Amino acid sequence: MTATSAPARSRPGTRHPRPAAARLLRLELRHNAMLWMMPVAVALFWFTAGRKTLASPPLWNLRVAVMQPTAVLAFASPVAGAAAWMGSRESRRRTTDLVNITARPRPARLLTTWAATTCWALVAYLACVAVVYAVTAHQATWGGPLWWPAVVSAASLAALAALGFAAGTLVPSRFTPPLAAVAAFFALGLSTQLIKGSQSYWLISPVVAGPWDLGPNPEVGTFYAYLPDLPMAQVIFLAGLTAAVLGTLALPTGSGLRSLRRSAAAVTTAGLLVAGTAVALAGTGRLDAHGMIAIPALHDAASDRPLRYTPVCGHTTIPVCLHPAYASYLPATEAALAPVLGQVAGLPGAPARISQAAATYQQGPGNSVGIGMAGSPIGGTHPVFHFLLPVQLAGPVLTTSEMTSQLRSATGPGIVASVTGDGPGASQAQHAVTTALLMAAGVVPSHPSAPRAPTTAGSNVPPPGPGAGGERYVAPPPGSPAYAAAQRFAALPAAARRAWLTQHLAALRAGRISLRQLP
Amino acid sequence: MTAGGTRAAPVTTDRPGAPRLPGSRRAGMRLARLYATSRRIPAALTAIMACALGLRIALIGHWDSYGALQLPLVFEAAAATVIVLTAASPLGEPERITGRWLPYLRLAATLALTAAAIGALAAAGTGAHLAGGTLDVLRNLGGFTGIGLLCAATISGGLAWIGPVAYLLPGVYALYTQWHHPALTTPWLWPGRPPHDLGAAICAGLVFAAGVAVITVRGARDLPGEEA
Repeated sequence: MTATSAPARSRPGTRHPRPAAARLLRLELRHNAMLWMMPVAVALFWFTAGRKTLASPPLWNLRVAVMQPTAVLAFASPVAGAAAWMGSRESRRRTTDLVNITARPRPARLLTTWAATTCWALVAYLACVAVVYAVTAHQATWGGPLWWPAVVSAASLAALAALGFAAGTLVPSRFTPPLAAVAAFFALGLSTQLIKGSQSYWLISPVVAGPWDLGPNPEVGTFYAYLPDLPMAQVIFLAGLTAAVLGTLALPTGSGLRSLRRSAAAVTTAGLLVAGTAVALAGTGRLDAHGMIAIPALHDAASDRPLRYTPVCGHTTIPVCLHPAYASYLPATEAALAPVLGQVAGLPGAPARISQAAATYQQGPGNSVGIGMAGSPIGGTHPVFHFLLPVQLAGPVLTTSEMTSQLRSATGPGIVASVTGDGPGASQAQHAVTTALLMAAGVVPSHPSAPRAPTTAGSNVPPPGPGAGGERYVAPPPGSPAYAAAQRFAALPAAARRAWLTQHLAALRAGRISLRQLP
Repeated sequence: MTAGGTRAAPVTTDRPGAPRLPGSRRAGMRLARLYATSRRIPAALTAIMACALGLRIALIGHWDSYGALQLPLVFEAAAATVIVLTAASPLGEPERITGRWLPYLRLAATLALTAAAIGALAAAGTGAHLAGGTLDVLRNLGGFTGIGLLCAATISGGLAWIGPVAYLLPGVYALYTQWHHPALTTPWLWPGRPPHDLGAAICAGLVFAAGVAVITVRGARDLPGEEA
């Protein structure tokens, strides 16, 4: 074919040529190392974040809180490493002089490469998030997706790509990509070591999804609205950091015209100011009563109102009602409490309903957090007994049998004690009757010498307060008169026990019954 | 040999008064020096020393249980990536054809750098609380290096760091699951196993041996157009 025989007509696509920037981005997307790093990042995500997230109970708040830090850590090294690899490309391929004479200014070319790297990282991340959210939407019984944690992770990827890319561009050595990848993991993974309490500047780290050392908390965003204060500060910080780092790419001499370098300096300064402001804002955060970090300057007071919901109730003799987010726990809760409820149902003063309550949080010294229940566990003209599920006490994920056992041994005695009036200052007879009813219900009372089971996660988290459902009941010591009376009372036929209680419960609660008067 | 390679090999002349070495020995020394220069082994040694120094400085700080256990692993991974990056050749095909002593040089350089890294990291932990101790450093660094060498032979010498960096997260996660059950107990995730665990040591040793064997025989894979 000769030159003259070649068609002179241009293709339809060239009549409206795409902007040069878009074409450059397309080229960069096709030749980007992050594209090949995506399988590694996705595999790391599923090995750590995905499995862990989907293994946790199907509560939106819990799953996104588990996902945010692990997802950021899973993507940190691949994204930073790939970005550094791309940043050092011109030097590695010895094409610096070749591309420096092209029409596009150097900062524009570098920005396009960074944008392509970030795009692929976000594509991989969003695909992982989509799967986690889709599975959670299918399994969750209440609520909807919380987007802020996903936004924080996405902003982290852009910032990590910028940091890695800048490292690769400014120090184009073969050692830069791996060291950038390891440094990113080190900085993120171990930044939380510096957090002390809820008022810490280090909460700005994107691997922090809430009060540190409280861990992922299923309570957050159920009884009260999810507070986006901390995620907002984190996103502001990450955006400022990204802008500052990208601005530095245009600062070196030879990057372009003086006006361009001035603009880059302005962007860098503005980015640093924004990032610094966000860090300062994070430092003003405090743990609120609902277990979230509230930052006064970013706080919306409307978020402090309790959320409306219709509880889901069971069919035990005294109905057990839970927040709909915890509906999956209802069968286990009913199974745990049914024997105890059978002992007290119909007695004067017995609760008309057993209802799940919201936990309250209080910052302790260091990173310790006190979790309890506000107010008395029982109250109202139609008495309602309030309790906390063990999963609300922020600890390791419990199996169904562990939760049943914990409910039976912690909440069960609370229900019986609310009927008998047992508690601090109660009489020996009240203590004995409580123990007897628990024996009859199959709840084996603890001995005073037995060690208390931990009710919360971490050794530095104190146990919940009275009535929260987290304290084990301590029975009278075997061999004591109260224990003997309890055994005697428990051995009575159920009908005889109920008849005696119906007749004498008011006197028992008033402390007018002695051990000898127990049948 | 490329121009870069030529530049890296300055012509040496015997200085007056310098001790005269036998010809073959002198050539061997020169070959080793050229190999070390072409693989940037001096820079790698500097980076390894920087890792050891970083670990030493980090160990001065106060770390909780998680941090104390994860800290050495991060520096071991960094040192391993530095070692495996020296496997990449900047000379490519001409060197492979003409380099009769290349397998021996690769083997010696890899073993020497690994030994130097183990020694440096172990020395950095002397007198401080280095979680797992020297045995952990030996096992983890060997395993990380083996993974990186296998990556160098299969992916590319320049991208060999992907293996150790990618393995770092599962390693840290395996440590994490020792507190948060179900624990990952497979010996192939050796960082999560105690230092005296035989299965984990065997797995890490096998990976290291395989990596060293492959890199000795085949060398690192070259990516066209990339300078290693």
